Amino acid sequence: MSAPILTAGQLRRERLALRARGARDFARRFGRRREGVIGVAILVLYVLLAIAPSFFVGSLETAVTASGGRLEPPGTVHLLGTDEIGRDILNLTVHGARVSMVIGLLATVVTVLLGVVVGIISGFVGGWVDTILMRLTDFFLVLPTFVLALVMTPIIRDMLGGGGEILGVRISLLVIVVAIGITSWASTARIIRSQTLSIRERAFVDRARVIGAGPGRMMRTHILPNVMNLVVANAVLVFAGAVLTETGLSYLGLGDPFQPSWGQILNAADQAGAPGLGAWWYLVPPGASIVLVVLAFTLVGGALDDVLNPRRAGRR
Amino acid sequence: MSGPSPSRAAPGPAGHAPGHATPVEPKAGRVLPRLADPDAPLLVVEDLRTYFTMETGTVRAVDGISFRLDHGESLGIVGESGCGKTTAALSLIRLLPANGRIVSGSVRLYGIDLLARPADSIRRYRWREISLVFQGAMNALNPVQRIEDQVAEPIEDRLGVERSRALARAGDLLELVGIPRARGRAYPHQLSGGMRQRAMIAMALACDPAIVIGDEPTTALDVMVQAQILALLERLRRELRLSLILITHDLSVVAETCDRVLVMYAGRVAEEGRVARVFVEPRHPYTRLLLGAFPDIRSDRRTLEIIPGSPPDLRTPPPGCRFAPRCPAALAVCTEVEPPEVRFDDGVRVACHLHPPGSPGATG
Amino acid sequence: MGSRYLLRKLAQAFLTVVLIVLVNFVLFRAMPGSPERILLGRNPHVSAEALAQTKARWGLDKPLFPDQFVAYVDATLHGDLGFSYAYRGKPVTAVLADRVGPTLLLFGLGELIAIIVGLAIGAYSGWRRGGFVDYVGNGVSLVLYSMPYFLIGMGLLVVFATGLGWFPTYGMMTPGMTYKDTLDQTLDIGGHLALPLATVSIGLIGQYSILMRASVIETLSDDYITTARAKGIRDIAILRRHALPNAMLPAVTLIAVNLGYVVAGAITAEKVFSWPGLGTLTVEALEARDFPVLQGIFLLLSISVVVANLIADLVYGLLDPRVRT
Repeated sequence: MSAPILTAGQLRRERLALRARGARDFARRFGRRREGVIGVAILVLYVLLAIAPSFFVGSLETAVTASGGRLEPPGTVHLLGTDEIGRDILNLTVHGARVSMVIGLLATVVTVLLGVVVGIISGFVGGWVDTILMRLTDFFLVLPTFVLALVMTPIIRDMLGGGGEILGVRISLLVIVVAIGITSWASTARIIRSQTLSIRERAFVDRARVIGAGPGRMMRTHILPNVMNLVVANAVLVFAGAVLTETGLSYLGLGDPFQPSWGQILNAADQAGAPGLGAWWYLVPPGASIVLVVLAFTLVGGALDDVLNPRRAGRR
Repeated sequence: MSGPSPSRAAPGPAGHAPGHATPVEPKAGRVLPRLADPDAPLLVVEDLRTYFTMETGTVRAVDGISFRLDHGESLGIVGESGCGKTTAALSLIRLLPANGRIVSGSVRLYGIDLLARPADSIRRYRWREISLVFQGAMNALNPVQRIEDQVAEPIEDRLGVERSRALARAGDLLELVGIPRARGRAYPHQLSGGMRQRAMIAMALACDPAIVIGDEPTTALDVMVQAQILALLERLRRELRLSLILITHDLSVVAETCDRVLVMYAGRVAEEGRVARVFVEPRHPYTRLLLGAFPDIRSDRRTLEIIPGSPPDLRTPPPGCRFAPRCPAALAVCTEVEPPEVRFDDGVRVACHLHPPGSPGATG
Repeated sequence: MGSRYLLRKLAQAFLTVVLIVLVNFVLFRAMPGSPERILLGRNPHVSAEALAQTKARWGLDKPLFPDQFVAYVDATLHGDLGFSYAYRGKPVTAVLADRVGPTLLLFGLGELIAIIVGLAIGAYSGWRRGGFVDYVGNGVSLVLYSMPYFLIGMGLLVVFATGLGWFPTYGMMTPGMTYKDTLDQTLDIGGHLALPLATVSIGLIGQYSILMRASVIETLSDDYITTARAKGIRDIAILRRHALPNAMLPAVTLIAVNLGYVVAGAITAEKVFSWPGLGTLTVEALEARDFPVLQGIFLLLSISVVVANLIADLVYGLLDPRVRT
C-alpha cells in the first residue's frame, strides 16, 4: 500500500485555503456592486438597532411611562415627536425595529425551511411524490396567501388562548410567524426544486448512487450544498417579503400593541387619526424604516443573486 | 420587384490575385450600391480586429485577419469553437453586442469601407448586400411570428414592397428552398430542424444579397439533413450566382462545398487558400492536425489524432505564435515572434515560422 | 387557442376551487372550537328559527366528515354562507354584495391604468437601458416596490387631502349629501376615488414596470433580435414587432402570479381611506371577530384570484402560438 498523497491535516488546510479564497473573491465581486453595499449598510444599521434597542433609546415607553405631551411635533426633547398617548416616536420606532426584524427573521426561517425541504424532496425523489407536492405548491402559489394568513391568525390565536411569551416574543406575534411561514413557502419550493432537478442530472450524483449512497444522504450531502447559493439569495428576498407581510397584517389590526412592530405603530397612528390630523411625524419614521429595510433586502438579494448565480453576460 | 436594371459592362479582371478564380462579374441586372466601385473585388477584409470588454479583461476575439472574396466564390472559415469565426462574420456587418467593438481594420464591399461609414448607414447594407443564416434556427426565428411573415419582413421593410406582393415573393422563396408555400403559415416550432434551416436560407435570400454568410448552418442537424442543406446551398449558389461564406468547425462541410478555406486559430489566420491545395498539402501544423483529427472513412487509421491542450485565453494571448504552446513542431522563435504571413505560388497564405519568407515556392 | 390547453386550464382552476372550499371548511369548521365560533349561538340578533334551521342545514350535531362537509358544500353552492355577527344577523352573502361594487370599481380602474402605464414605462426602460429615464424610473420603481400600499396611501392622504385639501380624506361619498343628478354623484364619487385610485395605481405601476423592464431586457438578448438587426430593421420596428410581443408573454405570467399580492395591497389600501369595499369589511370583521364574514371574504377573494389567473392563462394562450397546439 502506497503512502497517502495528502495527510489529513494538509487536506484540511487546503480546504480552508480554498474557502478563504472563495470568500475573498465573493467579497470582491459583491463589493463591486454599489447597490448591494448600500443595502448591507442599511441592514447593518437596523440590525444593530434591533439587537439592543434599549441601549440606544432606553426601554420601550408604555402608556404609564410616556414622556411627552399628546401628539407633539418633532422638537428638541422628542426628536421625532410623540404619539397620542405621549410616547416618544423615536423610542417606538427603534423598538419596533426589533419586533419587525425578529418576526421577519423567524418567518423567513420557517418559510425557507419548508420550501427547501419540499423543493429538494420533490425534485430529487420525483414520481408521484413530486406530482403531489407540486400540485400542493401550485395551489399555494395561486391562493392569495395574505388573505389566508389574515384569517388563519385570529383562529389560531383563539385556539391558543391568552398572552404569554416564548423567548421574549409574545405568542400573538409568533402566530403571525407561523401564518406567514405556512403561506409563503411555495415560491421557494419551486425555485429549489428546479435547481435540484438540474443538479440531479450531474455526474457526481450518479457516481454517489453507484457507490450505494442512500437518498437521504445524497440529498443532504450532495444536493443541499449545491443549492445553498440559491437558498441564500432567495432567503434575503423572502425576508423582505416577510417584513412586508407582517407589516400589512399588523396594520390591519393583527399586531400586538404591547410589542409594537412598525406596522402596528402605523395602525395605532391610523386609529388616532394621525393622517387626518396631519401628524406626519407619527407616520414617517416607521414608514421610512419599512421602506429602507425592504429596499435594502431587495438590493442585497439582487446583488447576491448576481454574484452567486451568474447568468450569461455578453454573447458570442 | 427589382428596380431598373442598368446592365453594367463586364468589369475587367481587377487585379488577378493568385489563387483566385477569374473574377466573375456581378450578376447581370444586379443594382450595386450607390457608392460601389464596379471594378473593385466583391469583398476585401484587411487586418480586422474586434475586441470585447468584459468584467475580467479585454478579449481579443479577432486579432488581425484578412481575406478576400470574389463574386460567385464560396469561402469556408474553419476553426475550433471560440476562435473568433462568428465574431468575424458579425463584424462584417457591425452586428456586435454592446461590449464589443471593432478596433481597427477595413471591410471593403465593392470598394466601400463599411467600417468607415457612419454608424447608422451600415443598416443600408445589411441583408441587401450581406445576409446571414444563423445556427440553431429555432432561436434565431421569432417564435410568435409566422414563417412567411418573417421571410417577407425584409422585403416589405427594406425594399418597400407592399405586403401582399412581399408575401407572394416570400412564398416563391420558400418554394425555392424546398418548403411548400402553404407551410409558410406555420410558426417556427411547428417545423422540423431541417425545415427551419431552409426557412432561414429563404429569409437570407429575400433581398437578393451579394453575399450570404452561413454561421454553422448545419451544426444542429443530423447528417442526412445536413447533406440536403449543403446541396441546397450549393444549388442556390450556382443558380443565383451567390457568394458564400461558410463558417464551420466541420472540415468535411468545407471540403464538400467550398472553393477556398480560411483556417482560423485564436483570432488569427493560420492558413488560407484553395481547398484543393490546403487539404492536399496543408502547410500550417494546426491545419495538419485538424485534417488528421478528422476521421476519414477510407483511410486505415485506427486512432483519432487529437490535438492536445486547449485554445489560449484571448484576454492574455501567448507571445509569438498563438498556436506554439500546442504545436508539435514549435521552434524557439515561435514563442517570441509572431510569424509573418507568407504567400505561395499556389495561392496559399500561411503564417508559420516553418514557412518563412524565402521558402521554396514563396512569392515573397 | 388549442382546446387541450383550454380544457387543462379550466380543469386546474376547478380543482383549485375545490381545494379552496376544502381549506375553507377546515379552517372555519374543523378547527377546535369551530362550531361555537361559527355558530350563531353567540349572535343575539338571530331568531331562534333561523338558528335551528341553520343548525340542521349545516348538520352541526353530526360528524365532521362526510356529513358536515357535504352539508357545508351544499349550503355554499346555494349561496348560504351563514349570518354576520356585526351586521345584526344579516346574511353574509348580502354583506359581501354590498361591498363588492366599490372594490371592483377601485381595482378595476387601478389595474387598467397600471397595466397600460406600467407596461409602457417598463418597456421603454428596458429598451433604453442605462438611459437617464431608465435610471430614475428604475430607482423610483424600486422604492415603490418596497412600500406597502397603505404607506403610499397615507403619504398621498397627508399631502393631498389633509395638507392641500384637494381631496376628501375618507369614504366614497360625502356623508349626508343629496345629489342633484347622476353627474353630481359621479363627480363626488370621483373626488373620493382619486386618492385611493392613485394609491393602487402607483403601487401596481411600480410592480409592473419592474416586471416588464426585466422581461424586455431578457427578450432583447434572444437570438431572433440579432436576426432582426442583421436584417437591417430599424430599432423601433424591432421593438414593436419582435421584442414586445415576446416580452409580453412572461409579463402576463408574472402579472398573474402577482395577483395574490395585489389583493393584499388592496385590503390595506382601502383601510387608509375607509373606502367602503371588501378591504375595510375585512378590517371590521377582524375587529369584531365576525368569523362568518371572514369565511365569506376568504372564499370570495380566493375564488376571484383563481378566476383572474384563469383569465390571464387564456390571454397567454391567445398571445403565444406555442401553447395553442
